Amino acid sequence: MIRVEGLTKEFVRPRRPPGRFAGLRTLVTRQVERTVAVDDVTFDIRTGEMVGYLGPNGAGKSTTIKMMTGILVPTSGSVDVGGVVPWRDRQRNALQIGVVFGQRTQLWWDLPLRDSLDLVATLYRMPPETYRRQYRRFVDLLDMAEFLDRPVRQLSLGQRMRGDLAAAMLYQPRILYLDEPTIGLDVVAKATMRDFIEEVNREHGTTVVLTTHDLADVERLCSRVILIDHGRVLYDGSVAELKSRYAPHRTLVVRVAGDGGQAEPITAERVAALGAALVADEGEEPEPDTVRLRFEGGRTAASDLIAALAAEFSVADVSIVEPDLEGVVRQIYSRRALPA
Amino acid sequence: MLDSARVTWALTRAAVRGAAQYRLNFVILALMGIAYQGSGFAFIAVVLSRYPSIGGWTFPQIAVLYALRLLAHAVYLVPLYMLNELDSLVREGTFDRFLVRPLNPLLQVLTRRFSVNSLGDTVTAVGILCYASSIADLRWTPMTVLYAAAAVLGGALIEGGLAIAISSMAFRFVEVWPARYLADHILLNFGSYPLSVFGAVAQWVMTWIVPVAFVAWVPAAVILDSTDGLGVSGTVAWLAPLVGAIWFCLGYQVWRFQLRSYESTGN
Repeated sequence: MIRVEGLTKEFVRPRRPPGRFAGLRTLVTRQVERTVAVDDVTFDIRTGEMVGYLGPNGAGKSTTIKMMTGILVPTSGSVDVGGVVPWRDRQRNALQIGVVFGQRTQLWWDLPLRDSLDLVATLYRMPPETYRRQYRRFVDLLDMAEFLDRPVRQLSLGQRMRGDLAAAMLYQPRILYLDEPTIGLDVVAKATMRDFIEEVNREHGTTVVLTTHDLADVERLCSRVILIDHGRVLYDGSVAELKSRYAPHRTLVVRVAGDGGQAEPITAERVAALGAALVADEGEEPEPDTVRLRFEGGRTAASDLIAALAAEFSVADVSIVEPDLEGVVRQIYSRRALPA
Repeated sequence: MLDSARVTWALTRAAVRGAAQYRLNFVILALMGIAYQGSGFAFIAVVLSRYPSIGGWTFPQIAVLYALRLLAHAVYLVPLYMLNELDSLVREGTFDRFLVRPLNPLLQVLTRRFSVNSLGDTVTAVGILCYASSIADLRWTPMTVLYAAAAVLGGALIEGGLAIAISSMAFRFVEVWPARYLADHILLNFGSYPLSVFGAVAQWVMTWIVPVAFVAWVPAAVILDSTDGLGVSGTVAWLAPLVGAIWFCLGYQVWRFQLRSYESTGN
């Protein structure tokens, strides 16, 4: 559905010389500064896939999305979206894609939400009966009935985002680009958005490309992530694979039965013999009588570890903490900060 | 084409509905337009009450010229006012949205909001034209009425072509309002008087480089049947409306070229 090959975008800006009259000299200077925002990015996205496109601020996410949607013309490389080169044939491309920019609404600020949806239907040349059907369905799914007649400028962020999502999906585009769709939303609003995206994907096989800083969005929706930084692809694959590659460790939290300090303490040596390691509690308030053991899921079986511990110590309770995507990504981002 | 027209019409109606939410603005901005354009005309009236003519043109003749220019300006401004806001649409990244919708981005810019300012200009222009026709030595024939209508449209296209070309520089340089102000003022300050008051060089430049002459001076001379001092032949004078069509096409080509350098904004 989407084929991106060797995609590169370089921005050229006049260089601002240091010192006095810098502003004036910028006007007459011929020196320019080149920054590569996206550097030789290649990937394929199949029909119906939901892909999380991740990276820290300034990594080149938005620039890539803008080239995929046809807003920007790349410096080199190619993009093919459903057989269309987006920036060369913008209007044909527009008919097959829906775009949500979380930070900017596409709705008509001074008009009731209902009018915005009418206008989108007109813009995308929807047959009236299709529009009526979609309209009823979306008002219901996104629970919008209550604020349809209110001017968009008076809506809360959560309501406005629901309106924006409805506007982007109304005409049933084959591809949906979501750039930070849940930014600034509360937990309930986020859940509504995610459910809706999932429903649309399941029902119509809509291909979804999602950029977000909320990795819960990705864990919930995407089976695949593409991670970029400094304009280059760092990782492209499944979420599970990403975790096992970058965070193979699971954590076993063990609470020892408190019997007045009589019990034998769990020591690092004993734990190491079982194929695990003691780790510090990362929580804000360490719980008493609790130890955390880190072990590699691939090498040590959780059941063996628990059985061995129970045999030696008086264990009151155990629980397993799986690595979350957030920790994984944090680890990758912080690693890049180190000198190579 | 027809399809785009239908969509554009729907967007225009929405823009008017949006503007109608701020009813007081309608009145204030319309009054502002009348005051601004009316005072310009009053200035000429005062000057010509002291001198019988300027550049060989009498007050009634200049009134016709002034009315034609203002009418052309109004006809340009009503649909194209939003070009003035292209700078901020580009700077704030709002323009991105227009590139992912199935309609020419220029039409989306123009229909984003409806500007009320232009209403005042239109009212003043029609008022002055009625007044000028009553005092000038004018014989309206079907031919001159048709020509005047075409000339007003042509004048609007000249101003529109220039505005589109200059505004589209915003795709590359983001802020271009000073250039637009300059162009506006050249058209306003030179276009409202008979160009014969300026020297031969200035007159030539404003005929053949920036076609200020064709906005109102040449058409007014044709309507008043006094094409002698124009610096263009009578035939060329009759073809004045065509200059607008050509100039507008050029302006649109510049827009298309500049659009390719659009670089959006960061997040």
